[in-house]
Amino acid sequence: MPEPHRPGDRSAAQRQADHAGLARLSETLVPALVSKLNASGLGELEVREGEWRIRLRRPAGSVAGGRRAERPRLGVHVPGHVPTQAAGAAATLAATLAAPSGNPAGPDASPRREAATSPAVGIFRPGAGVGTRVRAGDRIAIVDLLGIPQDVVAPIDGIVVDVLAQGGDAVEYGEEVAVVEAVPEMRAAGDDDPADREA
Amino acid sequence: MVSRILIANRGEIALRVLRACRTLGIEAVVAYSEADRASLPAMLADEAICIGPADARRSYLSAPAIISAALVTGCDAIHPGYGFLSEDDAFADAVRAHGLTFIGPPANVLERFASKEETRRLLAAHGLPTIPGSGLLLDEAQALEDAERVGYPVLVKPSAGGGGKGMRMVRSPRELAAVLPICRSEAKAGFGDDSLYLERWLEDNRHVEVQVAVDRFGHGVHLWERDCSVQRRHQKILEESPSPAMTPAGRLELAERAIKAVVAAGYENVGTLEFLVDNDGNAYFIEINCRIQVEHPLTEVLTGIDLVATQIRIASGEPLGFNQEDVPQRGHAIEFRINAEDPAHEFRPGAGTIERLNIPGGPGVRFDSHAYTGYEVPPYYDSLLGKLIVWGPTRETAIARGRAALNELVVEGVVTNAAIHRALLSSQPFLDGKFTTNLLDRVGAAAFLAGAERAG
Repeated sequence: MPEPHRPGDRSAAQRQADHAGLARLSETLVPALVSKLNASGLGELEVREGEWRIRLRRPAGSVAGGRRAERPRLGVHVPGHVPTQAAGAAATLAATLAAPSGNPAGPDASPRREAATSPAVGIFRPGAGVGTRVRAGDRIAIVDLLGIPQDVVAPIDGIVVDVLAQGGDAVEYGEEVAVVEAVPEMRAAGDDDPADREA
Repeated sequence: MVSRILIANRGEIALRVLRACRTLGIEAVVAYSEADRASLPAMLADEAICIGPADARRSYLSAPAIISAALVTGCDAIHPGYGFLSEDDAFADAVRAHGLTFIGPPANVLERFASKEETRRLLAAHGLPTIPGSGLLLDEAQALEDAERVGYPVLVKPSAGGGGKGMRMVRSPRELAAVLPICRSEAKAGFGDDSLYLERWLEDNRHVEVQVAVDRFGHGVHLWERDCSVQRRHQKILEESPSPAMTPAGRLELAERAIKAVVAAGYENVGTLEFLVDNDGNAYFIEINCRIQVEHPLTEVLTGIDLVATQIRIASGEPLGFNQEDVPQRGHAIEFRINAEDPAHEFRPGAGTIERLNIPGGPGVRFDSHAYTGYEVPPYYDSLLGKLIVWGPTRETAIARGRAALNELVVEGVVTNAAIHRALLSSQPFLDGKFTTNLLDRVGAAAFLAGAERAG
């Protein structure tokens, strides 16, 4: 198995750039985009700038006849940060932070985090709650695909630190629905060695 | 009328359906694969939802993913476009079973016309002439026996699907025995059904098809014909309408017979009956396409009727709303399929990023395309980048406008087949209206291009 990227892969300068970028996003770009999305009939808006990717999406169903006038949901993808609450000008925004390159990495101190993604388009049913210890491959939630449960599996050994979707939410294929944080002592126990698993 | 449609397709046809929804005041949700996240239809839709990975079997061909996407986004209908699940009766039935409207013929109609071999018999019984052929081939021995009876050369055809996959023309028993397993495996891979049948091969034939529209109440009209004789290995490259191979009386008779037969056979919604026309102008029915076709804009520009909107209205249970006398055939139209493929290298499909794009315009010019500057053409799907449709009051004007438009078209970063279209517009057989389905293959595309360059 290839060695996963470690936090040390990113330089201090890169991390500083991330912080500066995040500050700029939440202060200027995000409110502007939110108002643009609200003004338009669009369901989703994505902006790319360098390594940054910002996607705003209305919750599924909110466009349909305005049955649910929910605020747009914002996913700001930044390497290696935990989800935080960011107050936009017009909406309460949940900023989900993850690496655009797919390899989560973060500041020196914080352990590795990886998002569990939805295996199908369907309705999200939560399973393992925040704080649950999981092993890579464990089922941590379910996506209901026409009544057939599809497993959301933990991407790494660790602890569920965030569940990004709520029960009953419509989720699309590949959508990040939970975050698992690696626990160093679990790795130390040799769980990462495939040979041990065979035994 | 349905109020919110999930578009379960990609590329230019997804955009075309989106446009029809917009003009009808219907909301449109685009279902896309991971490879199409940055596609124009996904970006322009009222809502877009990722249904699976690039592999079409897990996205555009996954009935559960598509139906689930429609349900969770609050849609009440699904438009399948063309290809993928568009003619799959089991899919149409599943869509209905989930309380959704399938934009196309109802499942029982699709089922009735699913087998090409059975459809030939059904429509022959309702008065359409058919090419001598066989029933479904059981094994090699029977295929050889049937081929003797039909008479060589014969065309081996899959009973399901279309687009030239699994089709081979053979001139001898030995060739037939050699291609049978190939055709079977291609048909199995392409359409999930390996049943084959034989048709007598007509040398120098033309491919002419009649567009029809029939509502739920059995009221149907034909929308005249399209000529799709410019083909390469059974793939259409350029289409035009009216057919230069038919007389006004001949095309009227063919169109009238076609609509009469399909109404009698219980067809519903928009569809196309394909015919081969021989040198003497005799037309033989070969198959029916129970969906919108790539070349449908030709009919739209000649008749002024929006065929996708018509599909949606009929599927919603509305009456057709017009009669045969309301369907004119004004002027002449030509469609050029602009594919991301290299005519200089055996039409090898290409992928890459479109660095620069200039879309032609002017009177009588329509360009249906999902391409934009910066668009990354994914390597996973068919190579159709767009369709250039030109209209003129006469065939000559349409050809002149076609030349001008092709010269305006600029696509950089991805190789296209535009050169073959320029060559066609300077080829004598095309200018004379005498192109046949086998001409390009017989001459060879490379030789054809070189010949046009010398002539030009």
